[in-house]
Amino acid sequence: MTISPDPAAARIGATRWVTLLAVAALIVLPWLEADRFVLHVFSLIAIASIVAMGLQLLLGCSGQLSIGQAAFYGIGAYTSALLTTKLGLPFPLALLGAGIVAAVASLLMVPITRLTGAYLAVATLGFSIIVYLVIKNEEWLTGGSYGFISIPRAALFGFVLRDPMYSYYVNVGVAAIVYLTFVRIQGSRFGRAVNAIREDPDAARACGLRVTLLKSECFVIAAFVAGLAGSLYAHEVRYLAPNDFTFWKSIEILIMVVIGGVGSLAGAILGAAVVVGLPEFLRGIGDYRMLVFGAILIATMLFGEGGLAAICTTLGRRLGGLVTRLTPKPAGTNESVQ
Amino acid sequence: MGSLGASQFVDLLVGGIAVGCVYSLVALGFAMIMRATSIIHFAQGELMMLGAMCGLTSLWLLPVLPLILVVAVGMVSSGIIAVMMELFVYRTLRRRRVPIMNIITATVGMSILCINAARIIWGSEPLRFPELFATTAYEFGGVRISPQLFWIMVMAVAIMGGLQLFLKLTRSGIAMQAVAQDPEAAQLMGANLTRMMAYTFAISGMMAGAAGIMLGSMFFAFFEMGFITGLKAFVAATLGGLGSIAGAMLGGILFGLIETFSTVFLSSAYKDAIGMILLIAILLVLPSGLVGLWQRRR
Repeated sequence: MTISPDPAAARIGATRWVTLLAVAALIVLPWLEADRFVLHVFSLIAIASIVAMGLQLLLGCSGQLSIGQAAFYGIGAYTSALLTTKLGLPFPLALLGAGIVAAVASLLMVPITRLTGAYLAVATLGFSIIVYLVIKNEEWLTGGSYGFISIPRAALFGFVLRDPMYSYYVNVGVAAIVYLTFVRIQGSRFGRAVNAIREDPDAARACGLRVTLLKSECFVIAAFVAGLAGSLYAHEVRYLAPNDFTFWKSIEILIMVVIGGVGSLAGAILGAAVVVGLPEFLRGIGDYRMLVFGAILIATMLFGEGGLAAICTTLGRRLGGLVTRLTPKPAGTNESVQ
Repeated sequence: MGSLGASQFVDLLVGGIAVGCVYSLVALGFAMIMRATSIIHFAQGELMMLGAMCGLTSLWLLPVLPLILVVAVGMVSSGIIAVMMELFVYRTLRRRRVPIMNIITATVGMSILCINAARIIWGSEPLRFPELFATTAYEFGGVRISPQLFWIMVMAVAIMGGLQLFLKLTRSGIAMQAVAQDPEAAQLMGANLTRMMAYTFAISGMMAGAAGIMLGSMFFAFFEMGFITGLKAFVAATLGGLGSIAGAMLGGILFGLIETFSTVFLSSAYKDAIGMILLIAILLVLPSGLVGLWQRRR
């Protein structure tokens, strides 16, 4: 017992195992559960988790509260729909284009990243209401209240992904890429700088960080991934209506992040799963489902401070503790390996 | 647009101010809660909706109820609901010192809860209020004003004036202001923090309830009415300067006027967008709202 095992290393190891297990489960899922609807719901969860991760970067890392992410999501969705139907672009290009257009739209809003707290929240809210009204009223472009119909399915290299299983893989795949990229971002110099800004903007500025620029970059990145998610949504559902991109959507995205745990990327995914999946799961109780959803939301805030991510970590640690306590220890195997 | 006659202009002005009064009342609640707890209370619009629904229910039960009592019922029921929210949820959250984002999310949960409870209780059809006001227009020096709008303005001004008097003249009012400014110092001076927070929510709820009756009698009462009105009131509170009571009143009336006039002069489809563009512009120039401008001048 000379060297105790490094708890941080153990945790990283555990996280890696959990991630691997999750990836394996996601790959195997379509083969086990062939139901189209379940796969569709999983696709929607993957799409929602992409937007949620974007907001996580914005709120959890740089501390900026945006309640207008649905605007960029909507811009992405309609851009992708327009690019594929009007210009006949292939899906991968439309996906990229959706992200880029959403990011460019967010550049319009970059001046507001100087605002903080509730003021920033109101400004993003205002922007999302403007975008919603444009979508609803410009019928020549977006189909207005009638909706945007006959959006083609996603296709890769001329191969149309007709089976929900394939579109499931595309959606989950993009979500995974975004997740991995964000994990890298969090650990990078940029990620650490952004964290410093959230902790104390003045101190960060004093250390020579360009606070406003970094905050704007987070804003643009979050908008870019929201655009990607919008594009995936457009080709998954293949029908867009303005009501999909109201202020409620922004609130939903915010709920995903907070219920999952502010600051945790995996939490954002968990939150997306809960917010998208739970109402589907509660469909059986009809009118009461949103009532129950609201109650669950309040209860989560009351009983789980760090959101689902923290609850899971605590559970995992307890479970881990239990396992180590229960497994008989042959003398000096566990501790001295280090 | 020169085709607009003077009387039409007055009509618009009065309509805008009346709607603005409703926004002001809801915005006041936002501002008071923001000042005391620095949370954005997303269920504020729902308090308004519940006030309208409760007032309407009291009218169904007792159709002879005079206007003033209907408003009282709306105010009391919304006030009680707001205090219950505070006592059962927000207070607990604050005691646990959870991050502010979690409390704000809990208020969103509260809003979802209220909307869906109202839909189950009152149904999803828009409900029309019975005629509460005289129908013949009042004349003031040749200018005709609908009694409904007139009384809405009178009531709103009376309620906001009453609130100002309460905050300035009573011990509880002064203690509330003190708690909002510095909770710890106020507590050391003998202010009861828990009670003052409950008062804050009670007053915010009452303002919202009164607004609900007014808005419901102007248009309809239905389960989703609170959401968009709440948002607009929140914007109005920000426009005035968050957490400032005078700012919230001013912002509300200004927002009502902007909305009404832009509907007529610019575009009815984009009436909400114009308010928002103005909001973003104002925030960029004056990050602390209109009150900030006034304070800077002094």
